[in-house]
Amino acid sequence: MNLLYKSYYFASYQCDQSRSFCIDFGHKQVKLSFCQLLAIRQKVLAIDVSSHFDKDLNYSGIEILTLCNREHLFVFDTLQIIDLQRLLRATFGVLEINSLVTY
Amino acid sequence: MKDIVRQKIGINVDVMDLLNEQIAKEAHSSSVYLAMASWCDHNGLMYSAEFLYKQAAEEREHMLKIFKFINENGGTAYSPEVNNITHEYNSLQDIFETALDQEIEVTKSIHKIVTRCRKVQDYGSENFLQWFITEQMEEENKFRRILEMFDLMGTDGIALKLIDERIKNE
Repeated sequence: MNLLYKSYYFASYQCDQSRSFCIDFGHKQVKLSFCQLLAIRQKVLAIDVSSHFDKDLNYSGIEILTLCNREHLFVFDTLQIIDLQRLLRATFGVLEINSLVTY
Repeated sequence: MKDIVRQKIGINVDVMDLLNEQIAKEAHSSSVYLAMASWCDHNGLMYSAEFLYKQAAEEREHMLKIFKFINENGGTAYSPEVNNITHEYNSLQDIFETALDQEIEVTKSIHKIVTRCRKVQDYGSENFLQWFITEQMEEENKFRRILEMFDLMGTDGIALKLIDERIKNE
């Protein structure tokens, strides 16, 4: 597996052999198709982190995410969400650079 | 490292994001036209209402066109949420001015995506969007012609009725 990006809590990988991706969430690794990776990206980047600093909008300061058609359920705190957003932005950045290099 | 992304998706991911935003805009436009049609129906302007119902359907078609394009090319299209639809208008002229402004905003948004396509060399999406560029020019012109009728004929009484009857030919 090729490492795409490693953030503070998480890491993303690409597996050429199975033509899939993998995110290491620390306590478990989740294998993803490209379509599922797109879905995670959409969900995570849509999270308004500023709401975590407003008790009326997000009292607990956590996000509950279901991934891969509800196969996985995660509970993330504010720092993890910020880190996950960074991981996904960077992962897609690396993938775009790879596309440019191999074009 | 293999370019798996290119194997899976035929369009640029950033362009896909912009196209998803465009889907939401087209859905919003469709709902705004429905609200306008409702206003016309309640105010005895049945030809304008009919015209606006057709516009609502057309906007939905545009939305579906983009929706299917994204999915057919390996991306993921997201069904949009629609909110902030006003049902309050001052006059028929107000409706058509608002409609023209809305079309201009859609045109600007399409142009923005085309600019992005060129920047990232996504020629497939650019080619797909050419149809929308032509369509938007036609849409804008349609509303300009209707607004010219208000300039020529006025906005009161019989003039309003005559304009309403002429709108059915647009």
